Amino acid sequence: MARTLRHVNHRLKALGGLLPLGAMWILPLSAGLAAALTSTFDAAVWAALFTHPQIFPALALSLTTGSASMILSTLLAFLIVAGLHRVTALQTWMGGFLAVPHLAFAVGFSFLIMPSGLLARVVGVFGDWAAPPQWITTQDPLGLSLIVALVLKEVPFVTWLTVGLMARRDVSQMLEAQSRIGHSLGHGAASLWLRVFIPQILPRMRWPLLIVWIYGASVVDMAIAIGPTQPPPLAVIIWSDLNSADQAINARGSVGAVFLTLVLAALAVLFAGLTRLLKPTFRSFLVSGPSVEAVPVRSARGLLMAIAAVYLIVIMLLAIMSFGSLWPFPDLWPSQFQVMAWEHLWDAPEPLFNSLTLALGSMITALFLAILWFEEVSARFDRYLLAAAVVALALPSLLIAEGQYLVFLKSGLNGTWWGVYLAHLSPVFAYVFIVLSGPYRAFDPRYRSVSLGLNTNNWRFWTAIKLPIMKPALTAAAAVGIGVSIAQFESTQLIASGRLSTLNLEAVTLSSGGNRQLLAMYSLLLMIIPFCAFLAASRTERRLQ
Amino acid sequence: MPISRRHLLKATVASGLLPMMLSLARAADWASIEDRAKGETVYFNAWAGSQPINVYINWVVNEVKSRYGVTLIHVRIADAAEVVRRVRDEVRAGKTDGSTDLVWINGENFRAMKADKLLFGPFAPALPNFKYVDTEGKPTTLNDFAEPTDGLESPWGMAQLTFFGDGAKIAMPPLSMAELVQFAQANPGRVSYPAPPDFHGTTFVKQALIDTIGQRSVLKSVATKELFAHVSPPMFTLLDGLHPHLWREGKQFPQTQAQLKQMLADGELLMALTFNPNEAANLVAGKELPETTIAWQFSAGTIGNTHFVAIPVNAKATDAAQVVANFLLSPEAQARKADLKTWGDPTVLAMAKLSQDELSLFASGAVAGSIKTPVPAIPEPHGSWVPLIEAAWLEHYGT
Repeated sequence: MARTLRHVNHRLKALGGLLPLGAMWILPLSAGLAAALTSTFDAAVWAALFTHPQIFPALALSLTTGSASMILSTLLAFLIVAGLHRVTALQTWMGGFLAVPHLAFAVGFSFLIMPSGLLARVVGVFGDWAAPPQWITTQDPLGLSLIVALVLKEVPFVTWLTVGLMARRDVSQMLEAQSRIGHSLGHGAASLWLRVFIPQILPRMRWPLLIVWIYGASVVDMAIAIGPTQPPPLAVIIWSDLNSADQAINARGSVGAVFLTLVLAALAVLFAGLTRLLKPTFRSFLVSGPSVEAVPVRSARGLLMAIAAVYLIVIMLLAIMSFGSLWPFPDLWPSQFQVMAWEHLWDAPEPLFNSLTLALGSMITALFLAILWFEEVSARFDRYLLAAAVVALALPSLLIAEGQYLVFLKSGLNGTWWGVYLAHLSPVFAYVFIVLSGPYRAFDPRYRSVSLGLNTNNWRFWTAIKLPIMKPALTAAAAVGIGVSIAQFESTQLIASGRLSTLNLEAVTLSSGGNRQLLAMYSLLLMIIPFCAFLAASRTERRLQ
Repeated sequence: MPISRRHLLKATVASGLLPMMLSLARAADWASIEDRAKGETVYFNAWAGSQPINVYINWVVNEVKSRYGVTLIHVRIADAAEVVRRVRDEVRAGKTDGSTDLVWINGENFRAMKADKLLFGPFAPALPNFKYVDTEGKPTTLNDFAEPTDGLESPWGMAQLTFFGDGAKIAMPPLSMAELVQFAQANPGRVSYPAPPDFHGTTFVKQALIDTIGQRSVLKSVATKELFAHVSPPMFTLLDGLHPHLWREGKQFPQTQAQLKQMLADGELLMALTFNPNEAANLVAGKELPETTIAWQFSAGTIGNTHFVAIPVNAKATDAAQVVANFLLSPEAQARKADLKTWGDPTVLAMAKLSQDELSLFASGAVAGSIKTPVPAIPEPHGSWVPLIEAAWLEHYGT
């Protein structure tokens, strides 16, 4: 009897974790997907997709940008952490950088590297150039500048994840003990990193790294800003198809999105299988040695400085451009200034307000839903939700938004703050859940046994013990969540239906005619709001401690 | 009431007769439309990528509020196709109080809405100010990309393919496609156009088709693959000759006209193109381009078309939307819009139909960056040519 009761109780608890999640995330998302994907069972549409002259080169481009950006940012992040993991400021600054929306960064970054950009102007001072050089920087056919921009944007994310993982008391104690053993066996720091730390850290980061890869392979806004055009990455073709007024072309876009997602899923499964197969080969490397190689601290520091410098230059450049209206080549400084762009914001502050409430609202809800799940649902079900979250992020936001729009039509949610909030929750929860899953599940259960043994209740245990330990991970998840919500465009536009506006909506619509001052001002705001919010949060967190 | 009026109108349009009695009845009808419009809110979905245009729409917002008691809200959008999809979804879901009351539209977006029966009307010919429209001199006010408007959209302004650049750097602007090829040859890497399906890019390719085709009249008919294959080779010969001299040797293209324009402002390109004949002047006024900027068109004419406003079939405030559409056609609103110092969008009205007072509203003169010598406007090919042009362009130059 007591056992059945406990069983029922257990079930109820699991249900308590699931219900809000189901109502607020799974339901709108899956209903949206179902509505959006109805056209994908038409063979003629698939035929139309495969006769698109750019489909395969575009797919190749998507896969190379995704893979190259993921691998490079992981390598660079490991180098930074290996060299500098004791610097606490590292975590704060990286957190600030990772909260910056991708597009805002890409806009500023392209102002820096394009042939008429700041870099060329500085070089041009020595060359006495009258016209911009015919450099192939932005829009290079191989997508290298897109990859560089992605790497600059993802290194802070991966660094943060790694530092967050290693800073946790349980993990750090374990690693410290292991490094003592390693040292006494004659391994240098670099060898320890390669042979002991990374093999333990990497598996715990597989889901976040998966979304870094998927992001790079399916990014649209950044690709339009600095990526190649003939052909563009596949996601750009899909996006432009989904945007058309022609239903046949819309259908081709939906099918294209399903195709890209299936290819990514197949490759992810293939990769997982391959790593299992190749484990023995890795093992032979792991047990070789010892090697006394030291960690290249100097290059790690240089790399970190370089990344921070790029971010700071980008922010300064955006600030100058938001005031300078005419800035012809090769001048190093705009020739005409006006405050037009900023007046705009001053006249209509409502979008700013909406952006902030939507970002905070969706971020807090996502954290709440994720924690509820982790506390109430067994870890073995995580993989299903993780897979759902990855799918939600792999599919184009326009496709999901269109489906949600159809569903919301029936409930009158379109045109309301709540409708937009639910739409933002789709990607925000997906990111938050993926970022949190590793750290949250790795929490050492012995803490709980000990504290319950000391007669503390669950709540007290959670607030006094677990929360402080989880805080870095939670702050990171919050930063990502805010950045993701602030950067939403398609879902906001469609579901707001002109009844409310956000900063990013203003940014995209007002700069659709190419006004660089407005574009720079909004990009700057979209960058510094999450950045400052994050810095402020980690400040108060430290003060409280 | 509006339904019966629409039926009546359809009947008269179909029979080709417009008896006096009917116009009297319509005047009474219009008074009641204005009556009902009072206090209604119109959500006007309009592209918002240009500051002078937004300022103009803001002026309209104030005017219709004080004159007709209509609250006009400018819903800023980046692309009208989004409105087409939104309205289509709403209508399919049976939503009758739609999110859009008025939309700024033309071309393929209009064709899609008309084909899917997503538009309210016909209403345009019944607007009191429609009588001023220059339907004879500007036939595109009744034919949107060769698609008859059937009164489902009301003309708002005229557009024409126009080129612009810095007069200090361009001694002789190219006044034909052949001269453009020579210009690109003389300035390698400094000319480009947006990649289709960006509609500016598609328009440039259409212009190339018009300038190389033997018989232009064929473009008025519905396109077929065979017909396109038959008439397009000279166009591809021209583009094949042009591309090696373009920016990045014609292997990469800017994605949008906005990007093209920015590359001109940065000095990366020598010229850009636009559909708004006064855009260059707007950019000079907005301090985005230097005072020395010039604008020009091909001397034998360039593609011209009309842009319209339409009312979705499920609009909530159809009366107020018509009142706004009518105000946009008024000589006063059209004159302000055509003023080169504001937006500079050419009027759809016939000067001959205006009174002396109304005529005097239209300011004349030139500003820096405005067109000096007007050229004939060549009507758009029928909309069915667009997908064929875009697909063929992609096949030739997409990879």
